[in-house]
Amino acid sequence: MLRTVISDLARLRLGNGSVSITQVREKGHLNRPRLRNPHWFLRKKRTVHDDFVTSENRNFVKEVLHHTYNSSALTRDEQTHEKKLTNETIPEKQPWSQELRRCGVIARKIGQYPLWLKNGEKIRTTLLQVVDNHVIKYVPPEEYRPTRRPNVPYSKKYGCVLVGAESTDPTLLTKEYCGLFSNSGVMPKKNVARFMVSPQSALEAGTPLNVRHFRVGEFVDVRGKTVDHGFQGVVKRHGFKGMPASHGVTKTHRRPGNIGGGGEKGRVWPGTKLPGHMGNRWRITKGLRIWRINTKYNVLWVQGSAVPGSTNGLVYIYDTILPLRKPKDAPPNYEDNTLIEDIWFEQVHNFKDESITYKPE
Amino acid sequence: MNLSNRILNKKLTECAYKCLVTFSTKPIQQAPAAAAAATTSPGGSQTQQDAAVSNNTSPARKPLVPPHYRFVYPEFLPDPKIEWRNNIREKLERLDMLDRRRQIDLPEFYVGSILAVTSSDPHAAGKVSRFVGICIHREKCGLRARFILRNVIDHQGVEVVYELYDPTIQKVEVLRLEKRLDDSLFYLRDALPEYSTFDENMDAEHLEEGTPVPVNDIKVVLRPRPWLERWERQNLLGVANIDQYIKEKHRKSALKVQKPWEKFDLMKQYRSTIPEEEQKEIFAEVHTELHTLELQRKRNKRKRTFIKPKQLA
Repeated sequence: MLRTVISDLARLRLGNGSVSITQVREKGHLNRPRLRNPHWFLRKKRTVHDDFVTSENRNFVKEVLHHTYNSSALTRDEQTHEKKLTNETIPEKQPWSQELRRCGVIARKIGQYPLWLKNGEKIRTTLLQVVDNHVIKYVPPEEYRPTRRPNVPYSKKYGCVLVGAESTDPTLLTKEYCGLFSNSGVMPKKNVARFMVSPQSALEAGTPLNVRHFRVGEFVDVRGKTVDHGFQGVVKRHGFKGMPASHGVTKTHRRPGNIGGGGEKGRVWPGTKLPGHMGNRWRITKGLRIWRINTKYNVLWVQGSAVPGSTNGLVYIYDTILPLRKPKDAPPNYEDNTLIEDIWFEQVHNFKDESITYKPE
Repeated sequence: MNLSNRILNKKLTECAYKCLVTFSTKPIQQAPAAAAAATTSPGGSQTQQDAAVSNNTSPARKPLVPPHYRFVYPEFLPDPKIEWRNNIREKLERLDMLDRRRQIDLPEFYVGSILAVTSSDPHAAGKVSRFVGICIHREKCGLRARFILRNVIDHQGVEVVYELYDPTIQKVEVLRLEKRLDDSLFYLRDALPEYSTFDENMDAEHLEEGTPVPVNDIKVVLRPRPWLERWERQNLLGVANIDQYIKEKHRKSALKVQKPWEKFDLMKQYRSTIPEEEQKEIFAEVHTELHTLELQRKRNKRKRTFIKPKQLA
């Protein structure tokens, strides 16, 4: 900034005809890009002052809401499927290839229960419900300017798709936040997330996303914020054994013990396991198989019980980045309206089938 | 007649109270009502009566759910821990349970009943194994519901954990339907072996339809210490000789850990149970399906009883 001003001045001087050498002195530190929040990080909730609002006015506001978002807006747990067309330009659809990165979805972790495979083996599954997702905006790679880390090269390879989940009453939200949704034609949403996608697989604003985004048997990565345990000791946080309860042990039952050597290494080494805050971090569990899909309630049954976050917490589902588990086929088509409510992976035992029996050899 | 009726009524009240403590939020008001409902229909089946009632009512009204459903199908009630609850998950789980129940007859049984479970087993000789034993424990809810069977085979105590909704289970038979004085019978592990020995070829005992489930008030004789658990601390009703083996120090420490105030702790009870209104909602959802399955089971049973006996010689 400063430098540009100086150079401008220098140019002016040059224009005037006088010749002089401008000295540019470097600052003593790197010019780091300043961290700034993405443009959708806005204050969501409005302070509601409706002490003087009459019931007629309230009804009027409701009417306007109904008029603008004509649908069955604000019905809970319901997917609003109609697609709102906008005049945004989206690159042409191109044939699918494995390198393309696709948009993900926002889901809620709703619990876990066992399923059985056809060989009688029991598996633990976590249920993830895709909650009323709509694409809000697509920013092409040329225009998207994320906050960059210093010294990390950034190639403008991926665009950004903003996805919102769970419609709410816009009267409770701030004007700026509602403004995010104004061009997409969807109702303001409680939750917004961005997904980096290849420009070939960009989605139009207003596109509804549901569980048919995924196919049974494929693998996904699930990102969520782990359960917050607060400040924890070493036994709970890192699984240390602690020391005996008795046999002459005093004052050290759940303490870490020795944390380093002496001599040349006489200090606490970085990365030493010590007490500290546990949980409340973003974590991704990778390569979870989808065992079953329910299209009516938009629920995925996903392998394992190690999905980060608490029950009823938000998670983000992506196609897996593990190279050997990437999908081999093109993603399922939203348009084919095959009305199968419950889709099971071929290895899983459907509860509607008969009991499992083994053939005698 | 009158006297016996009164005794029966008292027993019923006791039994209902015992069960209600574990499930219901309003034990005292409910118990006499449940007992009265059971006694008013000594001849006919209670479920049939309920069916008749639900048939008579207009379709707009919700079906009447029999009050005993929460004891017969305890696994349909979700885990009361509030952080783990989610309506849609519970609904999907219930649908799956009903789907499984349409495939296999999972009868009513309690801790203390004697069951025979036939399950497919890849390591068994005929790929099928049958185990007879007493149900000593029943726990968890939803598709994870499971129970433990115990028997003594070749002088060796054997316990098998079965999952109720495991699709490898082919058949569950109740050989003797009864309850015991306690909620779980883990103390049979420390009892003399004859208390958990049951004949593998035992025949199913027939219980008149509509009769209340009998409570077996047998008192088990324990082996001397060491035991697997400190039974003297658990206020067991079904153990005869617990005082014989414990010393004064055990008695004192047992007294120390008692929590007699817990039965008055309404919040604790509220947190550890599903409220009655929610129970009604849940069973109203699955009631019709369960009822049709029950009727089907009865029909099948009748069919089975009319099989002509084989002519011998």
